[in-house]
Formats: sequence, C-alpha cells, structure tokens
Amino acid sequence: MQTAEIQAKLLDRLTRIAPDIDPRRIVADQDFRDQFDFDSMDALHFAVAVSEAFGIPIPDSDTGQLTSLQKAVDFVQARLASKA
Amino acid sequence: MRIEFRLPSLGADMDSALLTAWLKKPGDPIAHGEPIVTVETAKGLIDVEAYENGRVVDLIVEPGTTVPVGAVLAHLEVEHPSPTAASAPPRPDATPAVAAAQPSEALPPREAFLPSEAGKPPPSTPSATPRPSAGHPRVSPAARRRAQELGLSQDLLEQSAAGAILHVADVEQLAATRAVTGSAAAAAPDPRIAMRAAIGAAMARAKREIPHYYLGQAVDFGAARDWLARYNAGVPVQDRLIEAVLIAKAVALAAARFEGFNGRFSDGRFEPATAVHAGVAIALRGGGLVAPAVLDADRKDLPTLMRDFSALVTRVRAGRMRSGEFAAATITLTSLGADGADVLYPIINPPQVAIVGAGAVREQAVVRDGQLAIRPTLTLALAADHRVTDGRAGSRFLRAIAELLQHPDTL
Repeated sequence: MQTAEIQAKLLDRLTRIAPDIDPRRIVADQDFRDQFDFDSMDALHFAVAVSEAFGIPIPDSDTGQLTSLQKAVDFVQARLASKA
Repeated sequence: MRIEFRLPSLGADMDSALLTAWLKKPGDPIAHGEPIVTVETAKGLIDVEAYENGRVVDLIVEPGTTVPVGAVLAHLEVEHPSPTAASAPPRPDATPAVAAAQPSEALPPREAFLPSEAGKPPPSTPSATPRPSAGHPRVSPAARRRAQELGLSQDLLEQSAAGAILHVADVEQLAATRAVTGSAAAAAPDPRIAMRAAIGAAMARAKREIPHYYLGQAVDFGAARDWLARYNAGVPVQDRLIEAVLIAKAVALAAARFEGFNGRFSDGRFEPATAVHAGVAIALRGGGLVAPAVLDADRKDLPTLMRDFSALVTRVRAGRMRSGEFAAATITLTSLGADGADVLYPIINPPQVAIVGAGAVREQAVVRDGQLAIRPTLTLALAADHRVTDGRAGSRFLRAIAELLQHPDTL
C-alpha cells in the first residue's frame, strides 16, 4: 500500500473518531496531544481504528507509536511490510 | 391524559435552546426514554427524551425557533403522567442562570435519579466510530464552525446532511455551490462564546451558593497501573481499559457507600440518590467542557463501564447528547489525564454536592514501610458541600476511593 493511501485512510479514520477535528489543519509530524488535546480515550479510539482499518494487531506496548499522523503512517507501513 | 411537553433545563448553565428538528410527528407513539426533539444548546445538540409512554398530539414550536426553558414544545397524550414531568411550569420570575439551574423541577425526581430502571438505558456502542441514526441529520462540530464562518444557515446544513454526517469538506462544497448572503453568519452567535458564558454562569452559581470545602489525598497508583497493564496485554485493542475508568469505578463504588456525596441539593435540603450516575467531565476540542452521566456506574463491570464511557465521549465530541444524561448525574469525576497538572481542585456542578478531581499520575518519592520508594502517585481532590457533609466525612470518602484503587481486581 502506498504512503499516500495509508495517510488518506488514517485521516479518514481520525476524523471519524474525532469529528471535531478539521482534517486539513493536521500537521503530520506534530503530536496529536499538542495539536488536538488528544487524551487517553482518543489515543485508544485511534489505535482501535488503525487496527480495524489495516487488519493489524496493535499490542498495548505499541500504542505509544501512534502519537502523530507521520508516526502512524510509519508504524502501519512497517507492520504491513512485515506481514507481506 | 393530555400533557404539555416543555423544554426541560439540561443543566445549571442553560436558559434557552434552539429547536433544530422534530424526531416525531403528530400521531407517532412514544416510549419512555425515546428522543422526541433535538435542541441545540451551548453544549451542542441534545436529544430531549420522553418521560412517559403515549403518543404525540401536536407540535407547537417550529424548527429554527429559540425557546426558553419551560416553553411548551408539544402536546402529548400519555398513560400515566408524573406530577412534575415535562409539564413543569416555567419560572419567568427567576434570573436565567437560576431558572436554568433547577433540573430536578423539570424532571420527575425518581426517574431523574433512576432513568435506566424505567425503560431504555442509552445503548452502549462497542465501536468507537459514531454512527448516524436514521432521521438524525448530523454535522460535525468542526464542520459546524466552518459553516458559521461561511455563513451557511442551520436549515441548509440539516437539509443537506440527509442522515449522513457532514464534515468540513462537505460544508465547503456546499458553500461553493450556494449563493451565500452572509446574513446567517451575522445572526448566529459564536458557539464558543456561548459555551464559555454557559460554563461561567454555572460555575459562578456554584461558587455563590455552595459552601465548598476541599480535601486532597495522595493515592498509590502502582497496583492499579500494574493490574491495568496486565489486563490490557491480554485483550485485543478494542477491549482495553484506560486509567480514568478504574478511577471512575472506584469513585462510584465509594459514592454508593457514602450518601452525603451522592445526590442533589434542592429547595434547601439534600436529597440522597438511590443510584450512582457518575458525571464525567469531557473536554471539547473547540473549547469548553460538558459533564454528562454514565448511568449506574457503581453496578457496571469495568468492560461495560469502559464501553459506555467510550460511547459517551464519542457522542459528546460529535456534538450529540441525550437529555437524560444531563439531568441524571449524582456526583461528578473530572480527570486531567497523563499530561495534566498534579492536582485539580474542582468546582461542584449544581445541584450535585460533590466532585472528585484527578490529577495526572506521577512518579513520586514516598515513604513506604519506613523506606523511601518511588511510586506512581495519583492525587485526588474532593470538593464537597458543607451544607451536607464536613471534612471528616470527606476524608473517609476519599480514603475509601484510595483503598478501592489498591484492589483493582475487585473493581
């Protein structure tokens, strides 16, 4: 899967779990917590959404890798590559 | 029997609301707990639910109209009307903030305390993804703000949504295809200002009327954190729990045992609640705070509590709430989360009599068994009402919460 495709899918999921976010204002490498006041519930919702969208398991220890859009793209890419 | 269905007060911070959509039409049957009408308040969109079983006779107020609390919205034919139900009289003599602060007058007290016993508890949504329900046009809060900037009217948004959720891109597309006059933007108040004003009114009333006392308690969070890590390692991501849910359950269990902290103060006296409906403060990204209740929080196991809490947060942040959740809270928990301050000194949400504030869990040097140790520490702060309890009772209440958190497997 191409990076752009992964990013588009992640953006779609992000705005579904957090409909109060304007997707065009997302800065890819900025922490969600600083950008959108993400809390632990948001972080968990995002992990669930990523897991469902790409069919990859996300161990609890890995949720810390999903803290920005760029980190999430990198994480998904790495997981899909190791799955293939 | 025919009754008047009036706009209830949905919190200490509401004096009027904009009627946005009827969810029923004349002749439609209604059941207790079923949404009848959607109103927009400073908190966002709230579905106002029926208090009785029956049917709709006629609708009085047109969508797009702003009406005061207590205004007659419709007439209903009901089976067993409760004396103080939706037919509660308005209070034209009172100031808006005070009139708005009497949810117990607009709701049958027993049912307000025990909504889930009388019919439909809000269904829990296992998925974190908000689903549009049939007949509920929805606009995301970000899209709503953008629509306001672009001068699109509420009516136009609702028509265009047609059951789907409108996002920012949809709103911009809509604006591009419409000749916009800009008059709607000029007429509509900024929701962020309205939210701040509503919070200000409620908190000013709380500080004015409630003689608060404050207590703090450092809680060793090691056992809770270890238990949570083990639990979360053994379940798939969608079944994981967060720290706030453990704290909420401990507060709810303690609230069930200490009645002076669970209930409401109205008409000069304290009315203890028979159930624990835990209000949870939820921050909104556009700014502001709402505190709807997770019903029967003391009786739900942790996975159920997590699901309900999760669904509530999702719905509230999508700008969709239910009237029962606002009238129901018997005590509130407000939690700052991992990047918050060490201690949160909360303000009681009237007419409740207690609120627990949870700071961030921090590694702290503490004395344990006569030795210095570094432990994850949670500082809880209780604000309680001196008309009902005093510091000794408050200390016992806080210690009970701390003790419960030492045994997370029993929560």
